[in-house]
Amino acid sequence: MEFAHYAPLWAEALLTLLALIIVLLGSLMKNSGKLMGGLSAAGLVAALGLVSSNLTISKPALFFFDTISVDGLSQFFKAVFLVVSLLVVIASLSKYTGKGADEYYALLLLATVGMMVVASSIDLVTLFVGFELASLSTYALAAFDKSRKNLEAAMKYFIFGSVSSALMLFGFSLLYGMAGSTRLADIAAASLANFGPATLVALIFVIAGFGFKMALVPFHMWAPDTYEGAPAVVSALLAAGSKKMGFAAAFRVLLLALIALRLEWYLAFAILAALTMTLGNLAACWQNNVRRILAYSSIAQAGYIAIGFVVVGAAYGAAPVLAFSGIVVPAAQLGIAGALLLILGHALMKTGAFIGTSQVASMVAAGSDGDPDDISNYAGLARRAPITAFCMLIFMFALAGIPPTAGYIGKFVLFSSAIYSGLVWLAVLAILNSALSLVYYLRIISYMYLKEPAGPKMAEQKGYVVALVLTTIAVVWIGVFPQSFIDWALQAAAVLLPQ
Amino acid sequence: MIPLELNILLASTMFTIGLYGLVTQKNGVKLMMCIELLLNSANINLVAFSAYQPNVNGQVFALFSIALAAAEAGVGFAIMIALYRLYGTIDLDNIRAMRW
Repeated sequence: MEFAHYAPLWAEALLTLLALIIVLLGSLMKNSGKLMGGLSAAGLVAALGLVSSNLTISKPALFFFDTISVDGLSQFFKAVFLVVSLLVVIASLSKYTGKGADEYYALLLLATVGMMVVASSIDLVTLFVGFELASLSTYALAAFDKSRKNLEAAMKYFIFGSVSSALMLFGFSLLYGMAGSTRLADIAAASLANFGPATLVALIFVIAGFGFKMALVPFHMWAPDTYEGAPAVVSALLAAGSKKMGFAAAFRVLLLALIALRLEWYLAFAILAALTMTLGNLAACWQNNVRRILAYSSIAQAGYIAIGFVVVGAAYGAAPVLAFSGIVVPAAQLGIAGALLLILGHALMKTGAFIGTSQVASMVAAGSDGDPDDISNYAGLARRAPITAFCMLIFMFALAGIPPTAGYIGKFVLFSSAIYSGLVWLAVLAILNSALSLVYYLRIISYMYLKEPAGPKMAEQKGYVVALVLTTIAVVWIGVFPQSFIDWALQAAAVLLPQ
Repeated sequence: MIPLELNILLASTMFTIGLYGLVTQKNGVKLMMCIELLLNSANINLVAFSAYQPNVNGQVFALFSIALAAAEAGVGFAIMIALYRLYGTIDLDNIRAMRW
């Protein structure tokens, strides 16, 4: 009876167990990389099945003395994390097959479990533990190839990441002192009743701590270096998974625990969002390394997603508005739903794009020295590796927000919610930024399709191709049939707002 | 009982020293020590607040965070050792191939 009671958490349990089994088997067997990768992929598919069996859970199910909540929002984020990990595992099957592959897959699974715990946490302790589990596993993953660039990337990621956890923990300790409890609901009650300067200080620390993970300007310094230097498939996990974990945590803590201070964090996020998207897009225009361009573009996308917080701060408790296609919802709910859709879309697009760079790097690495991610290697990619080039083309269009793709749907819902809540300046700035971002996306596309090939046709590796094609189908599917995804995101968003 | 203010003063001082060290130091191991200072200042806060609350949540939180800080130091030193093997130094000024 106990076992059945915990059914909504089987996915986490399964992945944790699988990670331990993989480490154990890996120490007993030699050259078992392919098997371990297959096992991880199978485990992730099973976990995805378990999560989607209660995808639209109507009433939150609470576990472990009300510290873990399985609700619409947590299921949304868990689905995103699992899909990203699955794609990364499939892509890694081409790369990590030899010695040490078991550790790679085990760390990847543990990072996924950490992210899933964060998505479910409604208590500061579980939130922190999940956050650290995901962070520690990804520090190790970023250094996995142990090349010079890898280690530099991992070192920067480690220093900035642990400082951000320390800032977050300091903020949490102040919140505990204020409320006398680590539960988000108790903190919300205490701060609604009365909040002093200590709570404001805590808010600053918490925003700084999450800001590092979300890579918002001015907390973004580590992101370009880490995404460029880490193994490309790990960069995909970082940009699409661990960054979204920052958003999941920030949604819970700011909207559930610190809603009393919404006017304060509304202002902070308005400035952060405007700065982040503008600086991210401007910096991306000057880069010649494709992974660095993608890193800056993912910083810019974090700026767009942060608009969700601004909308909630501006329109919290406002009356429902008539949005597009007959949906009547409060602007705040529409804002969160837009942010969630962009999180889903960006997770897919960025995973795909980084896997594409991994494919290109593995093809050119054999023949030349120098930077494998340099944009000159993408010249004539359409003829050298047609499938990769076409998938990259779709991802670039999707990242720029051109219909019918997942990127467009997310931006459309998010920016229209900004307009409904009276933030026209922010919506205009975001749309101008989307136009600016076309500069560097089109640059990559023109290299791939208009330039003369830099070398002969290359064999595309199977694992990468499967991951790329799956991601492309998902990105276009969300763009062509958005209605069910919008409904899903709206339902997930409702968890964060009072009924 | 030591007044709460003194505890928080101690924690804030430790936190500030840690932050100052992070900005000024270039040696990888010294940076890790500064990070430990930051984490431990938060632990002092948690335990101090917990003494003035009817529950022990803060102390439990501090225990969790001590364990996590140990794990973090483990991963951090592993990265630093790998860096040292490859670069022959852990002075972070010498480890910057990637800029802007």
